[in-house]
Amino acid sequence: MSEAVKPKSAFGRVWDFAVRYQGVVVPVVALLLAFTIGGVLIALQGVNPFNAYNSLFRAALFSGDGLLRTLQKATPLILTGMAVSIALRVGLFNIGAQGQLIFGALASAYFGYSLAGAPTIVILPAALAAGILAGAMWASIAGLLKAYRGVHEVISTIMLNSIAYGLIEFLISGPLQEPDQVLLRTPAVAENARLGNIGSIPIAFIGAVLLAFLVAWMLNRTTTGFQFNTVGKNKFAALYSGMKISRLTVLAMVFSGGLAGLGGAIETLGIVHRYESGFNVGLGFDGITIALLARANPLATIPAALLVAMLRAGSASLQFDTGIKPEVVDLLLAITLLLVSIPVLANILFRDRAQKQDNVTSGWGS
Amino acid sequence: MIAKRLLALAAASMLALAACSSTEANPEDKCADADFLCVGLVTDTGKVDDKSFNQSAHDGAKAAAEEAGGFYKYVETIDSKDYANNIKQFTDKSYDVIVTVGFLMAEATVVAAAENPNTHFIGVDQFQGETIDNVTGLIFPEDQAGYAAGYLAGLMTETNKLGQVLGLEIPPVQMFAKGFEAGAKAANDAVSVTTVYHPPADNGFNDPEWGAAEAAKQLAQGADVIFGAGGNTGNGALLEIAKTEGAGESLFCVGVDTDQWNTLPQAQPCLITSAMKLITDGTKGLVLAVQDGSIAGGNFVGKTGLADFHDFSTVIPEDVQARVADIVAGLADGSIQTGVTL
Repeated sequence: MSEAVKPKSAFGRVWDFAVRYQGVVVPVVALLLAFTIGGVLIALQGVNPFNAYNSLFRAALFSGDGLLRTLQKATPLILTGMAVSIALRVGLFNIGAQGQLIFGALASAYFGYSLAGAPTIVILPAALAAGILAGAMWASIAGLLKAYRGVHEVISTIMLNSIAYGLIEFLISGPLQEPDQVLLRTPAVAENARLGNIGSIPIAFIGAVLLAFLVAWMLNRTTTGFQFNTVGKNKFAALYSGMKISRLTVLAMVFSGGLAGLGGAIETLGIVHRYESGFNVGLGFDGITIALLARANPLATIPAALLVAMLRAGSASLQFDTGIKPEVVDLLLAITLLLVSIPVLANILFRDRAQKQDNVTSGWGS
Repeated sequence: MIAKRLLALAAASMLALAACSSTEANPEDKCADADFLCVGLVTDTGKVDDKSFNQSAHDGAKAAAEEAGGFYKYVETIDSKDYANNIKQFTDKSYDVIVTVGFLMAEATVVAAAENPNTHFIGVDQFQGETIDNVTGLIFPEDQAGYAAGYLAGLMTETNKLGQVLGLEIPPVQMFAKGFEAGAKAANDAVSVTTVYHPPADNGFNDPEWGAAEAAKQLAQGADVIFGAGGNTGNGALLEIAKTEGAGESLFCVGVDTDQWNTLPQAQPCLITSAMKLITDGTKGLVLAVQDGSIAGGNFVGKTGLADFHDFSTVIPEDVQARVADIVAGLADGSIQTGVTL
């Protein structure tokens, strides 16, 4: 690669462009590769992969309410993706987004039905704020344990997930259960506490996108964001320059949990309209996938969440039209994630011009 | 050189994707015809090969479609939020019958039925509080199956202690459990029954470790016949007993829903019978009733029964078998009442 003196050909310029924006190119190539591998597996089951993908994406984007369903599924994923991303920036691996999300979902459901009769201007903000606070509170336990007792956040957040499940199942099978109901669920939230849609676009989706820009601004342009990034990159340097690591750790977990809790709240207010056992499965864990796909960049969580949402929204049609099991979409995601998160693909494509990848999970050993 | 790598990659992708193509006439296009039966099935966050509930309904719907010369297709639900959309896949194509499996889909089924008056819905285990013309709830008198199994258990026990390891405390499970206890007491008034339900949780029917631990506890307390009823949770209990010394000689277990001798062969060492809900027969019958126009809205009470004793037909004394057969016959003709109410 010593042709630097030669005038660049058109291809060379494109190539330079690709190298420069390899943060985008690598995930796209990974995605294409994953779809190719998935296509081969689909073909092995006797189905034309073009038909299969066509049915998947047509259902997710162009059919009836397909786009609406895709955006509805993307909304909580953007929020949980950002929740995990913020923690990663500080070098914390928040596995507990699921627990924080279900707490947020339950809290907003509680305010959504117990304040029934209150005007929209009161009930909706109260329900949303309750979701954020509940998630933030739950995450702050792990933050405090980490900051002041050195408990590793991976361990504490995983355990807090289980505690959250137990506590919530208790609440919805007793004190908060809908009267005369055998199912484990709360009463429905008031009509005016529900988040609707503008055409095919859920209001909550617009909010989540705006929030992504806000979080990106916070991380890149504010002192707090700078401190988060510094602690994440090298906490000894941060300590030496006088940053309060303990406080920043707790603060990052509070932000993280608040976003996850908001994700739960908008699921309750926008989709399920109550808290019901078995309805928020996996959203917090999908957040981990999305944060890693987006390499902890809050704006990149939007396309990552849209991708995951499209695949999930279209998977039923995939099975209906072609008989392919809906789990194939998880396979596609897993392959993509594997190719994005290990640096192999960038090294193969760009050789010595591959960017050194930040180790997004640097919190592991500390 | 790098360009070559990329081109090769792209070429490989295109080749792989273009590898196969096929076009065939789609029988679904005939679903709108009045005389061509199209049957759809939506599972309750489960798979059609779950060896239990979903599979039984799937087998029934499939058999009915084959018998009527129609077309059958299913969609497996991954996320509870997608119930409505998964049902919509079928209504969009004007399917004649849609089977929705499980208590949890009851609401989504009723909503879809209101939107699609020309489609008939069959809700397995969905009790209908009020009659809707195009929804038939397939429900079962679980207490009768439990009663017959309990009667057998009451006659088989040496220690006069029976156990029950159950899934979530919801009506179908409670009916099984109360029936079992009533049957056991009818057979043997010295018997005591220890009953334990899974605590409320998402995995109430899929917690075999908990089931095994509870079964071990009951065995330690002297129970010698244990009823495991609650999907995979109950299976955990059955497998624990099958592994325990004395299984099949002094310790026995009773399965649930289907003949678990076939669906859970690892439990065979202790499995004297299963308290069955004949979901396959019930589903098949209702689908065919839609075809010949004899279907009615409201509830349809399916059949329950006691599974074959299989290898234990030589272990269970003949007079016990005869007495249990009398009970089964009495329950069927209504001369014996279980007395179970919820």
